[in-house]
Amino acid sequence: MKRIRSSIIDGVGFDLVLVGIPLVFLILFSGLPLVYNVLMSFQEVDLFSLGEVFRPFVGLKNYRALFAQPEFWPIMWNTVIFVFCSIGGQFIVGFGLAVFFNTGFRGSTFIRGLFLVSWVMPGLVVGATWNWILAGDFGVLNYLLSSIGVISENIFWRSDINYSLWAVIITNIWLGTAFNMILLSVGLAGIPKDLYEAASLDGATAFQKFWTITVPMMRSTTGAVISLGLIFTLQQFDLFAAITGGGPANSSNVAQYWAWELSFRQYDFARGATISTIMIAVVMVASVFYVRSTRHEVRG
Amino acid sequence: MKYMIGASVAALLSMGSIAHAEDVTITIWSLDDENQPAMNLAQEFSDMDNGITVDYRMIQFDDVVTESMRAFATGQAPDIIAVDNPEHALFAARGAFLDVTDMVAASDEVVAENYFPGPLNSVTWDERLYGVPKATNTIALYYNVDLFKAAGLDPDTPPATWDDLVAAARALNDPDNSVYGIAFSAKASEEGTFQFLPWAQMSGGGYDHINTEGAVHALETWKTLLDDGLASPDTLTRGQWDSTGTFNSGNAAMVISGPWELNRMVDEAQFEWRVALLPVPEEGAARASAMGDFNWAIFANTDHPQEAFQALEYFASQDDRLFPEFGQLPARSDIELPPTGVAPKDAALQVFLEQLQYAQARGPHPEWPKISKAIQDAIQLALTGQMTSVDALNQAQASIDAILAE
Repeated sequence: MKRIRSSIIDGVGFDLVLVGIPLVFLILFSGLPLVYNVLMSFQEVDLFSLGEVFRPFVGLKNYRALFAQPEFWPIMWNTVIFVFCSIGGQFIVGFGLAVFFNTGFRGSTFIRGLFLVSWVMPGLVVGATWNWILAGDFGVLNYLLSSIGVISENIFWRSDINYSLWAVIITNIWLGTAFNMILLSVGLAGIPKDLYEAASLDGATAFQKFWTITVPMMRSTTGAVISLGLIFTLQQFDLFAAITGGGPANSSNVAQYWAWELSFRQYDFARGATISTIMIAVVMVASVFYVRSTRHEVRG
Repeated sequence: MKYMIGASVAALLSMGSIAHAEDVTITIWSLDDENQPAMNLAQEFSDMDNGITVDYRMIQFDDVVTESMRAFATGQAPDIIAVDNPEHALFAARGAFLDVTDMVAASDEVVAENYFPGPLNSVTWDERLYGVPKATNTIALYYNVDLFKAAGLDPDTPPATWDDLVAAARALNDPDNSVYGIAFSAKASEEGTFQFLPWAQMSGGGYDHINTEGAVHALETWKTLLDDGLASPDTLTRGQWDSTGTFNSGNAAMVISGPWELNRMVDEAQFEWRVALLPVPEEGAARASAMGDFNWAIFANTDHPQEAFQALEYFASQDDRLFPEFGQLPARSDIELPPTGVAPKDAALQVFLEQLQYAQARGPHPEWPKISKAIQDAIQLALTGQMTSVDALNQAQASIDAILAE
């Protein structure tokens, strides 16, 4: 007994307790819901069996029914476009800003901090604000574009099936850029300055320094940022709810919003859970990349 | 002697407090806040000296169905719930709601004949009553009298048919001054179905036969309004509240919406406006309109069905206060709405009351959300030009047939 206590206070037991607490927490609040969700995707669920755990098992029926819906592939394709373009935009703009602020001009840290405002705002607020910017008849964006002569007719960003998905992507890039910039700034600050000095002595141009020092040294940070971006982008729900509601005609619908629609609009919880299960698989792959790239970071 | 009286009074008082401790408590869930009827009426009923205490819980619109279903499945359901009328059948058909037919028959306060047919139909399943309408609303055509005069239209003869409506929208449309002919909502949500279904019903269709010739004509008419720029393209993604906002600001000359807009319009609109009945397909055609708002229902597994029904009787007895105090329309034809003194509002109310005679329930069907989704998809596919109106409605009909066959 005494040995156990001393081990807990000062020894292997202490480590186990430290690891155990978050582990139990994770299993309870993340693991169980995940398992429950996967289980639901193989069951027949209706509103009256919501309170049960063991419901009729239907095998892959929910999956087959989901794949057979005509909107399945368009929505999956929208999800891919949304994820790639959002991450791409966030990363490129974020990286550019990070490099820009890394030059360390007067007030750069202060302005960099201000950029975080976009990141801390709730998605629904961002969505509502961008609704006014993107509005068709009286939107600010249309006004800007037409006054510089880019467009002659108003673009109905939210209601035109050719633009609706892009309306959400643009907003999401704006929302996520600051977070990317901060993470990348940290990565940039970690690159030893003597590498650049040595390169300068060897006569390297700024462009050469960027490609041969900055980019390779940022590899692990980039991996982490992109993996996190994938996870955040796949979680993005508020903007869809606030801006387009997935419409018109599903043109801006993506997997995560569709899962909510099926579960809480049509009360088809099994199909909603099925989409979530597919997404869990995708996010898990991303998590593996994330864990690997951060591990690399520690060793490097 | 004096002491004895004192003692007996004390005994009576303590008996009273014992009786009070044994009060029956009923739970009521509704989305009404302190400015809306349910919360106030529940409080009043609870304060009455009838041995019944009310535990009132406010729930969010989006959570009504899932919260209460989960509660019902785990035996934690409230005694009384206010549920959106198209979702009533979902509960009633599965026996989750108490059959109150016999209680209503014996009641002096809740008299089935006093209710409008639409709301009454929404609480009916298999010819039995599973609830009591809480309030009701419908949609009609608001129009801007000043713009009518400016466009040379006679404001005393508002559009009566669909062709009139399109013609009027064309005459009123004024892109140079940012004025659309008409505003409505074709959003991919229940609001879209709410606005479209009456058009299908007027032309002989319904939720179970949505691909009729008349319904195709209706959808084509909507498409004309959008394709010719007579309504904003944002009609596809905008709800009724926001669409009516553009009417109030003078950016749309007509709008299809309901009586919930009246107070805001009185405050905001800087022009003369009136309300007309929804235009029909052609002269002499049957009328129809949408039917909105909530119903009261008692959950089947309640321990206090009598007390719960007593509460509903009290609510029904106060129906004449719904409009003057809370601005909601009672679902009954036997209640005179007192004039408010605001002329355009009073005139509009008479039109809405007439329109209510033709208001039809959505469904009732236990799979309503899926039926509604099929209709929304058809509207959106046709209006965005991805399918013809005929194909879109045929596809919706096929989905609905599959749902009805289950």
